[in-house]
Amino acid sequence: MSRSSLWLSLFVLALPFTGVAFLIHETVGFDWSELNDAAWRASLTVTLYVTIVSTVISLVIGTWLARSVYRRRSTWLASLLRWPMFVPHVAAAYLFYVLFSGGFPFYGLVEANERHHLVVILTYVWKEVPFVFLMVIGTYAQLNRGYVDMAKTLQLTPFEQFKVAEWPFLVKPLLDSFWVLVAFISFAYEVPALLGVTFPELLGVLAYERLTTGLFLNAYESYAVALIWTLFIFIGVIGSYAVTAKRRRRIERGVRR
Amino acid sequence: MRRLKQFGLMLSLIFLAACGTTRAEIAPTFEQAAEEAKQSTVNFYMWGGDDGINRYIDEYVAPRLKETYDVELNRVPMDTAEFVRQLSLDKRANREEGTIDLMWINGDNFRNAAEADLLQGDLLDKIPNAALLNEEAQSIDAGTPTNGLEVAWGNVQFVMHYDADKVKNPPTTFDELHRWTEENPGRFTYPEVTDFTGNAFVRHLLYAEYGAGAGDGEIPEDFWEKLATWSPYLWKQGATYPKSLAQLDQLYAAGDVWMTMGFNERRAEAERNDGVFPNGTRALVLEHSIASTHFLAVPFNAKNPNGALVVINELLSPEAQLAKQDATYWGDGTSLDLTKLDAADRDAFLKLDDGVTYPDPERLAERSIPDYGPAVIDAIREEWDRVAQ
Repeated sequence: MSRSSLWLSLFVLALPFTGVAFLIHETVGFDWSELNDAAWRASLTVTLYVTIVSTVISLVIGTWLARSVYRRRSTWLASLLRWPMFVPHVAAAYLFYVLFSGGFPFYGLVEANERHHLVVILTYVWKEVPFVFLMVIGTYAQLNRGYVDMAKTLQLTPFEQFKVAEWPFLVKPLLDSFWVLVAFISFAYEVPALLGVTFPELLGVLAYERLTTGLFLNAYESYAVALIWTLFIFIGVIGSYAVTAKRRRRIERGVRR
Repeated sequence: MRRLKQFGLMLSLIFLAACGTTRAEIAPTFEQAAEEAKQSTVNFYMWGGDDGINRYIDEYVAPRLKETYDVELNRVPMDTAEFVRQLSLDKRANREEGTIDLMWINGDNFRNAAEADLLQGDLLDKIPNAALLNEEAQSIDAGTPTNGLEVAWGNVQFVMHYDADKVKNPPTTFDELHRWTEENPGRFTYPEVTDFTGNAFVRHLLYAEYGAGAGDGEIPEDFWEKLATWSPYLWKQGATYPKSLAQLDQLYAAGDVWMTMGFNERRAEAERNDGVFPNGTRALVLEHSIASTHFLAVPFNAKNPNGALVVINELLSPEAQLAKQDATYWGDGTSLDLTKLDAADRDAFLKLDDGVTYPDPERLAERSIPDYGPAVIDAIREEWDRVAQ
């Protein structure tokens, strides 16, 4: 490793640690019971709901699409599917706001700004499916077709074929995508700010609001929530990779031809 | 290892360079300040969400300053709470040379800034035009005494606007407004109370129930229960509220709701003339209306405080105030005391007072009430959530 790349990696590594150090510094002496108010509690529930539902749906659809493209080898579909990646989240949010909020095509079916956050979820799914697709299609491209052929020869059902010949290789990219999406969606601002409701608000929106209302006292609440959430994601990432480590290593060794 | 030492040295040098500067001095008299300010730039931080206001600064004020004082005005649009927060971080980091020279501020942002000691004091005696100020407006800012930390720039009142083509019998009291929403479900809403205007609307309802008595920030439970009865008849059944006044204005412009509201009795005129607001837009003055003054202040670490004084003096000149009150740009009420002006200037101000969307000035003045203090603003912000649930 050259010296400049060492410095660069140290610098990149230092940023998140500085962030966490700042959050810890800001929350020293914070009365944690202040977080036990209705707004934060409701926010946590709705955030978990929106994040998990959007993430799981995106993972399922993204994988399914990657699989179809892989099986049919349709490259035009593969490039077409990347398009939503180029639309910024705020533009996507506005697009869905226009589509779903007034009289126009989908009026009455699903509406923006309602408690179930369906349009928020829809926006995230539309935006994140291509991301999952990209993460998974790479794995499929490298997949040893021998496994699939063998599963077919053994006359396994299509589901069992998927389970033994494809799923083990998908664990890694899906786990990566899962945490990227959870970390991103759970604390994002623009989509829920435009398409969400006044109560309950998603964590990112509520935290930003408490941070910027000019009441300095409430800023510490936002820092505290950001700190808890960072640790939560950190522990989740470490935990889930630790649990799957053994399996993933075995598969990675097996996949090398 | 040597590399590491060099790196550390470099870092500490950068750090020292950032901290080592000292505060800029304010000149003792205005003439000296104007002399010092020549060929300098003043960074004016202000909320930038209104096109008319921005044009007033860029097209009217900035060229005049350039011509008269050779001062460059740089308008920086930013949410007030955000730059107050930035300033408080400067204070904590002991940053004595900041980026903000002048700011537009009022209400709880001013209260916070004053409490955190973020503002320059004794502004008034250094600004010649401050002698023309309306003393009542200058003395207090939403319940917080100004103590010379800020200078009144404009003075407005809270007014609602409605579309007369759709609303045939406009309500005259807040109780009637409540009944009107029940008869016209989905046609009324107000911004969230984290928004300046939305919070003020709720304060008006509070005043309608309890008068000035609720000023200590103790809001009775009954009030929230009564406010919750509005919800089912509001836009989206009260499940969500506009995040800002701008969003409410959009709903009103699109015809989704039939009323909007805001500080500044003249604010709808330009919007209506431009065809943004419906043609039938008229003013609605209910039984009382909070008067609100907004101010100019100079941060403790302004780089160019002398330039800031020059700009404030210019903004308080009768000509600049007149152009500000005219509907062409902004339509913002003057902070000057008209009796202190000479006859020609006074007449020019009085002549401005007719617009299709303006309320009757006498009626408005008669119903003017002072604002509650910051305690009530905070209490509403903290407790209103239960209404939105």
